[in-house]
Amino acid sequence: MESQASTARITLAHGAGGRKTRELIEQVFARHFKNPEFTADDAAILPLGGKKAAFTTDGFIVSPWQYPGGNIGKLSICGTVNDLSCMGARPRYLSCAIQIEEGCPMADLETIAASMEQTAKEAGVRIVAGDTKVAGRGQVDHVFITTTGIGEVLPDACPAGNRATPGDAVIVTGDIGRHGCAILLARKDFDIKAEVTSDCAPLWGLVASLFETVDALPHAARGDLHVLRDATRGGVGTVLYEIAEESGVGIRLQESGIPVQPAVKGVCGMLGLNPLYLACEGRLVVFAPKALAPALTAALRQTTYGKEAAVIGEVTAENAGRVVVETEIGTETMLPEPTGELLPRIC
Amino acid sequence: MDPEQKKLRDIVTGYDGPRLRIMEVCGTHTHEIFRLGVRSLLPKTIELISGPGCPVCVTPTSFIDEALYLATERHVTITTFGDLVRVPGTHRSLADARSLGAKVQVVYTPLDAEKYAREHPAEAVVFLSVGFETTTPGACLAVQRAKAAGITNFSLLTANKTMPGAYLAMADACDAYLYPGHVCAIDGTSVPEDLAKRGIASGVVTGFTAKEILTALAVIIKKTREGKPFFVNAYPRVVRPEGSPAAKKLVASLMEPCDAEWRGLGIIPASGMQLRESYASFDARKKYNIPKMEGHANPACRCGEILQGKCKPPDCPLFGKICTPEHPTGACMVSHEGACSAWYQYGGII
Repeated sequence: MESQASTARITLAHGAGGRKTRELIEQVFARHFKNPEFTADDAAILPLGGKKAAFTTDGFIVSPWQYPGGNIGKLSICGTVNDLSCMGARPRYLSCAIQIEEGCPMADLETIAASMEQTAKEAGVRIVAGDTKVAGRGQVDHVFITTTGIGEVLPDACPAGNRATPGDAVIVTGDIGRHGCAILLARKDFDIKAEVTSDCAPLWGLVASLFETVDALPHAARGDLHVLRDATRGGVGTVLYEIAEESGVGIRLQESGIPVQPAVKGVCGMLGLNPLYLACEGRLVVFAPKALAPALTAALRQTTYGKEAAVIGEVTAENAGRVVVETEIGTETMLPEPTGELLPRIC
Repeated sequence: MDPEQKKLRDIVTGYDGPRLRIMEVCGTHTHEIFRLGVRSLLPKTIELISGPGCPVCVTPTSFIDEALYLATERHVTITTFGDLVRVPGTHRSLADARSLGAKVQVVYTPLDAEKYAREHPAEAVVFLSVGFETTTPGACLAVQRAKAAGITNFSLLTANKTMPGAYLAMADACDAYLYPGHVCAIDGTSVPEDLAKRGIASGVVTGFTAKEILTALAVIIKKTREGKPFFVNAYPRVVRPEGSPAAKKLVASLMEPCDAEWRGLGIIPASGMQLRESYASFDARKKYNIPKMEGHANPACRCGEILQGKCKPPDCPLFGKICTPEHPTGACMVSHEGACSAWYQYGGII
C-alpha cells in the first residue's frame, strides 16, 4: 500500500467526480482530516450559538471561462450557494479567492465580478471577504475562483446523502446535462452547431419552495426531504451512485421519464455520450417519500428553475449500491457507474 | 411502450424455432444491445454473438508495439483516438509511455491530427489509423490535405480494415449477421447481397435505435423461418445499395487492399487497407522503417476467442478480476464498444 501510494500519480480521472474522485478523497484527505464534523455531504453542519450553520467551499477552474448561459463568476456563486441549499440551509455569506493569470484583460475581470454580484443578489447572499493572487502566465488558465459559504440551516431540516429510503421517489428539478453539453460545444473541439445554454442557476428559491410545500402538507415534515444533492461533475448518474452507496439502497430509473432537451440528446447521440453523466449546475436530485412526489413536483414547476421537474425513478431495498434502468423496450439493465475521465474542467 | 415496438418485442420474445445464432458485427450495435437489455428479451434458443466490429478490439498487439516503437525509440508525436491509448501492447500501453515522457496526443478525427502536424512543424507526427470503412475516408482526406499543403511531418500508421473478409471468415460462427449500418452506408449492400445469393451468409443491415435493432431481429426470425438465405436492408433511411461513391473513390485513389492481422482471427487476406506507393512518404512503416513486431498479448486473455464468438466475457479467467475498464488487460475491455467492457458495465458486475 505504502509503495503504491508513493508511485501513484493524479490523473484527470481523479477530477471527474466519479468513483476515482471518491477514492482520492477517502484514501488521502479523509484519512488525514479525521474529525467529528468532517462530511461526505455537500457542506458540513456546525453548531453555532444555538443554531446550526452549514459551511462549505468549492473551487472553479472551468474552461472556457465563459459559455452560453454563464461564466466562471456566476458558476462560482451558484456552486457554493447550491451546496449550502442542499443541506437545507439558507445561504447567507460568501468569501471568494481569485487567482488571476498574468495578462488577463481587466475587462474580463469586470465581467466576472459583475456576474458574481448579480448572482449573489439573486441568491440572497453577500460576498463579504476575498483574496486576489496573480500568477505568472501559464501557471493559471485565465482565472480560477474559490468560494466559501456559510448558511443557516432551517429548523428540523436534515437532508443527507445517507437518508434515501426504499419507497422514496427520485425527482430531478429540470432537464439534465445542459451545462456539460454547453461547455463541450463552447470548446469547439467538435464542429457541431447546436443551441445549448448552461443550466447554471442559484437554487435556494427552489429548495425553499420544497420546504414550504412539506410545511403546508398535513402529514409531512421537513425531515421527509431525505436527500437533496446538486448534480454537478459527473452528472445525475454519478449522484445516483453516490446516494445508492451512502444510503445502502438500490435505485430504479425509468429511462423514458428523464427530461433531456432535444439538442442535448442530439449532441449526445452524435458523440456517444449519456446525458446522465453530463454535468448540471442548476439541477438537484431530490429523494422524498413517493406520496409527497406529486406535491413536490407541482411546487418545483412553479419556480423559475424547476419548470421541467420530473419523477425519474424510485428507491428500492434490492440491488443495494446499484442503479437499474428500465429501458424504453421494457427491459432492465444496469446503469454503468462512471469511473473515469469524462470531461475535464467543466466547473 | 410504443405499440409498434411492443409488436416487434413480442415477435422476438415469442420465437420458438430451432437454435439461432446472430452475430452483431458492429461495436455500436454491441453497445446498444447491452444498453437496451435486448439479451434479456431473447428466448434461450436465440444467441447474440458480439463480433469483430470494434476497431480498437481487433487491432493486434503488434500494432500497439509499432506505435510504442515510434513514440519511444523515434521520438515521434503519436496522435490517436483516445481508446487506443489504453490498449496494452506487449510490455506497456501508450498511456504508460506517455507518463514516462512520450508524446501522445488524443484527437477526435484524422483531420485534427493533420492540423496538429501543420501547427507543430518541428514535431514528427504520426496518426494511428485504425477503423473500418467508416473511418478510412477521413484518414485519406487527412493525407490528401497534407499532400496538397506540402506538409512533410505527417504520416499514418495504418491498421485500417474492411469488413467483407471478416464476413467470410466468420460465416460459420453464426446463422445470420446483424450487418453494421454505417459500414454499409459507405460500402453499399452489394457484398452482403452477394453473400446471401451464394448461400454463404444471411443477414440484415440496420440502425442503432431500439426500434431498428428489434426490427432487424424480427426480420431475421421471419426470414429464417422461410428457410432460404437472405439479405434485407432494414436501414434504408441511411443505407443505399450503392453506398457512398464519393467516399469509395477517395479511398481507392489513396489506398489499396492488403492482408491484415485481426486480433483473434489471425491474418485475413485482402482485409486491410494501406497507402499506395505514390503516397509512401505518408506511410509511417516505410518512412520510419519500423522493424517487424511479433506482439504478444497476455496469454490468459481470451479476447481473441470472444471476438470469434467462441466464448463469452465471463468465461475468461481475467474478466472482472484483474481485467476491468479501469485496468484493462485485453482490448475488448478498453473500448465502450468492446464486448467485455459492455458486459462488465451492463452485466451487473460491480
